[in-house]
Amino acid sequence: MIALLNHAPLFGLILNNGDTGPVVPAYGLPAYLLLSAVLFALGFIGVLLRKNTLVIYMCLELMLLASTLALVAFSHFQGTLDGAVFVFFILTIAAAEVAVGLAIIVALFRRRHTVSVEELNHLKH
Amino acid sequence: MSTELLKLVAGSNQWWALTPEITVACAALALLVLEIFLPKEQHRFIPHFAVVTLVMVLGSVAVTFEHAWLGEQLFGGLIKLSQLGQIARVFFLLSSLLVCFLATICLPRTRMPRVEFYHIVLVVTAALMLLAQSNHFVMFFVALETVTIGFYILVSYFRDNALTLEAGLKYLVLGALSSAIMLFGIVLIYGAVGRVEIDGVVHTGFEYGVVADFLRHNPHNFLATAGALLVLCGVAFKIGAFPFQIWIPDVYQGAPTPVTAFLAVSSKAAGFAVLLTLVLNVFAPLSAVLVPVLSVLAAATIIAGNLAALSQRNAKRLMGLSGVSHAGYLLMGVIAALSVPAAANAVWFYLFTYLLASMAVFGVMAHLAGADDTHQELDHYEKIARERPLLGAVLAVGLGSLAGIPPLAGFMGKLLIFVAAFQAHLYGLLAVAIGGVVLSIYYYFGWIKAAWFETWSLNPAGSEVSVRPVTVPSWIGRTVLTALALATVLLGFYQEPLTSWLMK
Repeated sequence: MIALLNHAPLFGLILNNGDTGPVVPAYGLPAYLLLSAVLFALGFIGVLLRKNTLVIYMCLELMLLASTLALVAFSHFQGTLDGAVFVFFILTIAAAEVAVGLAIIVALFRRRHTVSVEELNHLKH
Repeated sequence: MSTELLKLVAGSNQWWALTPEITVACAALALLVLEIFLPKEQHRFIPHFAVVTLVMVLGSVAVTFEHAWLGEQLFGGLIKLSQLGQIARVFFLLSSLLVCFLATICLPRTRMPRVEFYHIVLVVTAALMLLAQSNHFVMFFVALETVTIGFYILVSYFRDNALTLEAGLKYLVLGALSSAIMLFGIVLIYGAVGRVEIDGVVHTGFEYGVVADFLRHNPHNFLATAGALLVLCGVAFKIGAFPFQIWIPDVYQGAPTPVTAFLAVSSKAAGFAVLLTLVLNVFAPLSAVLVPVLSVLAAATIIAGNLAALSQRNAKRLMGLSGVSHAGYLLMGVIAALSVPAAANAVWFYLFTYLLASMAVFGVMAHLAGADDTHQELDHYEKIARERPLLGAVLAVGLGSLAGIPPLAGFMGKLLIFVAAFQAHLYGLLAVAIGGVVLSIYYYFGWIKAAWFETWSLNPAGSEVSVRPVTVPSWIGRTVLTALALATVLLGFYQEPLTSWLMK
């Protein structure tokens, strides 16, 4: 699909047609990138500091979404569709990751009755 | 419909080039179908189907090794068929075959479903083969995540064991973290490269070739450099390089033994296949930044892996941490490959010797593991050599090769990489690596000693360490283990077939 888009200059034309562009964003590219970087940093710090596995998992999703935001912003301001298409792949992958991840967390909770990383440290020697 | 259009469609049908991957993926689905339709008493034949498919695909790849399409980009640049891609295909198929063999030993001990294990192994194998041949960051990310999510499931496969689940959770959180970091790097590169028009066709920063061109013209672009470093962080997690090696001991210990072997061999090799492509083809113009960063990483990896392995008594943790140091030597080979092209072949030679030796050791471990797969101490290897001379001999050959003892294949692998590093003038790194090899001999021989020699132990016989039942190897087990050990010995004396094949 991406390959198709690459070879269709038509899409570039449509995107570049500034006069009829439906939405003119209120902020420029740097604002979106800043927001994306802040979200990414928040997620990263959350993964490192939080103790509850579920909250850690939410922070991981936040990091993925930060990348998605930057991707869409780049895609819009540069007039290439590839980035916007990649977002769908990322969403699918994130969904698969959550499905497997929550299954593991639930199975672990059934065995150990805790989801706190502080108590999940039995793997030592 | 005009005939021109039909001709165009027929001419652009490139799916044949991916026959191995498609066959493996279809076989994975067929396993599940077979489980539904076969009567219960014939379910034990389903793993055989997986093994037979892998053998057939391996044969077909070997026969069509010099493909007519070699060097071509398929699907608008998503995939690039190359010599290294073909080598990677053979490597991953061989490794998965041996993982299936280990699984036939380990899985019957538990009450876990069996067919799904082989299903996921086959899916991961297909994704690994695609990963090694990807030529586009979207393809790369999707293939990598397919591999990683498959591994999440495999690591926590023995879900009745709390330690295994804990390992699964740790791998999940750290794996997802590294994927997120890598994704952000890909996005930064995409943003830095922007819109590139070549002959009226729009290209973007997802395509390796476009990125390489961009970096050649703007080697000091901050955004692209930061993106490249973030992507390499994600790869460093896969290979277990220094700051990202923290997951290795816990996950290796908790994962079922076949999965530990799969992680140690295939996952690591996938990381290096990707690293070679990225560093040599895509990020090569950034070598002024990459060489110092990767050199520090390699030295730290060698030191951290060897020092942490010194005090380990758990066999699986020991394999994991010693694997970290192997990643360090391989990383040195990758750095050398930036100035000495032959080093890339040396890296693959090393990976093949590592495959043979590790699988031999894991094969012995699979036979010795008791009901609790996570509890495999070196003390359990006592008297193994006397009771099961074959297992003891295979273990000694495998560990000797991993340590790099002269007549064995591992020595030649290390020698080729060290010679390449010497030619690339990486003297400091070389000194660290040689120190690391000397250290590694200590802990590998501690293991061999535990298996072969009477040891004086603090607790007198019969008190703490009970005699564990050893699974008697079947004729298949004996054949495979002997073949692995023999190949390791033969490759040490006579490398011509493998080297000439790698350098075709």
